[in-house]
Amino acid sequence: MSSAHGGSTGPHPSGAVVAGTSAGGRCLPAEPGKTFAGRDRSFRRRRRSPGLPWILPALVLSAGLIYYCIGDTAYISTQNWDGISPDMTGVGLGNYTRIFHDPVFWDAIRHTVEFFVVTFVVQTFVGLMFAVLLHAKVKLAGVYKVIVFVPVVLAPAIMAPVFRHMFAPDGELNALLRHIGLGALAQPWIGQTSTALPVIMAITIWEWTGVTFVLYYAATSQIDRSMVEAARMDGAGNIRILISIIWPGVRGTTVALAILSAIGALKTFDLPYLVTTIGGPDYATEFLGTYIYRMTITLAHVGYAAALSIILLVVALVIAILLQVIGRQGKARE
Amino acid sequence: MFEVRTWRGRLVLQVVVTVMAIPFLFPLIVMIKGSLAGQGWRNFTAVLGVPGLAQFFINSAIIATGATVLVYVVAMMAAYGFAKLHVAFREVYFWLLLACLTLPEVVLLAPLFTTAIRLGIYDTYWAVILPLAALQVPFAVLLTRNFLNGLPNEVFDAARVDGASSLRGFLYLVIPLTRPIAAAVIIFTLIGAWNDYLMPLVFLQSPQMQTITLVPQFFVGEFSNDQTKILASAVITAIPEVVAYLCLQRLFERGLSAGAIK
Repeated sequence: MSSAHGGSTGPHPSGAVVAGTSAGGRCLPAEPGKTFAGRDRSFRRRRRSPGLPWILPALVLSAGLIYYCIGDTAYISTQNWDGISPDMTGVGLGNYTRIFHDPVFWDAIRHTVEFFVVTFVVQTFVGLMFAVLLHAKVKLAGVYKVIVFVPVVLAPAIMAPVFRHMFAPDGELNALLRHIGLGALAQPWIGQTSTALPVIMAITIWEWTGVTFVLYYAATSQIDRSMVEAARMDGAGNIRILISIIWPGVRGTTVALAILSAIGALKTFDLPYLVTTIGGPDYATEFLGTYIYRMTITLAHVGYAAALSIILLVVALVIAILLQVIGRQGKARE
Repeated sequence: MFEVRTWRGRLVLQVVVTVMAIPFLFPLIVMIKGSLAGQGWRNFTAVLGVPGLAQFFINSAIIATGATVLVYVVAMMAAYGFAKLHVAFREVYFWLLLACLTLPEVVLLAPLFTTAIRLGIYDTYWAVILPLAALQVPFAVLLTRNFLNGLPNEVFDAARVDGASSLRGFLYLVIPLTRPIAAAVIIFTLIGAWNDYLMPLVFLQSPQMQTITLVPQFFVGEFSNDQTKILASAVITAIPEVVAYLCLQRLFERGLSAGAIK
């Protein structure tokens, strides 16, 4: 119960209905010995209605379903099971020790980290540049905005065939490269291990920079204009203002975006599943999500996949907590 | 922010923005150009002539609407409970919900599959709506609770003192006052549900239950890899999303930034 309204005349017996406030317009006789103001405050101290019934549906739907699934997954993760047959064999933590010796698992982790670093850095840079430039009275700003944001609303699953077409050996990208005299760079982008992962990164950046841009656009418009003016009076150039005023000014947004990107990297599934067809050539675009899918559906190692899921879950939670802590520390320093 | 006084400087900025925007435009051009290659507009008529195409849209609409309504009602109620009512161990429950924020849906696959079959909801809309809503609720509650925390308690206290039940407080205060953040919640959930691929892929089997995110794959089978028709189907499925965005552009942007900026 919140008692932020402090300075009261002592607890009012809860449950006692005393009507009559200025807000209501009705007035019942005041209790003896209490000033109007004192009485008014005592109403607020009255116990609030119980909120549990209100939060229960959310808890049942979300926490109930999800924690039930996690519990179930944790149990399956200690079994050797194909997902269909009625008999499971308990293997204890066997699945987990096998995972730690599984090179594909470590590949998936490495891809996730690389993916996060590259997509986050590029999106931050490009998104912030768009935000700052479109604040600078560029012509047709609305058109650029739409171009950058439309990818956000398009489903990755729908764009996947477009990108398969675009990055194909005889696709539009290679055609463009040949056209502008860079034909030497043309290559089978999706089919070779060296470029498959960068393709997935590029599509993700294409898809999510719109979000980064909109958030930075809103954040930069909240920066104190007078500070920018003062800096300009002192002879600071555009770059200087960007580094010394705008970048620190949007720090909170950057932290929020880092959390979103990190979680997004862990959740990556649609693109490597559809564009480079489950994990790509020689596991080049294997992520935890696609590996779990491959293990569950394609290979029917459901126990092993469950153990992978639990590891993924723990990593996701640890990252979320870490980033929260970093974010708080940053705020405290300011 | 950036200040450019000379026309030459302005021109440089314009060129820089344009060059940066080209990579974002390129895939869209590829999509449209590819869909018109070969037989031209007849690609579109061929795709639109496939029986059952409308059903894909109807299914997606039912699932997206169902998930959004469910998330909206449940999240508004929970946010009200967390922000303005009395709940013992409030923060414990809140963190229980928030921990679900980071959960990748692929983790739910195996347990949900067996549960859906046991409950007999496999291959029904519910098998997709329920997990989608469950995954979206935590974020919606986080957004709405923060928003409600920012509203003065006095309003709610005054209503209570006047004898309004918590239900009336919900209907006449929470619902109208949370309209700005509700836009964000609804848009996030709609995009998430409409664009989701994995849940329909795993939980919907029969052809008449498929959603639009499964359309490209359906057409790979239907037109045995005729790229132009597959791209035409991509254009057709993308159109409603682009139109919705263009009509509600303000709402989209405001909704998005409401989530990250105080």
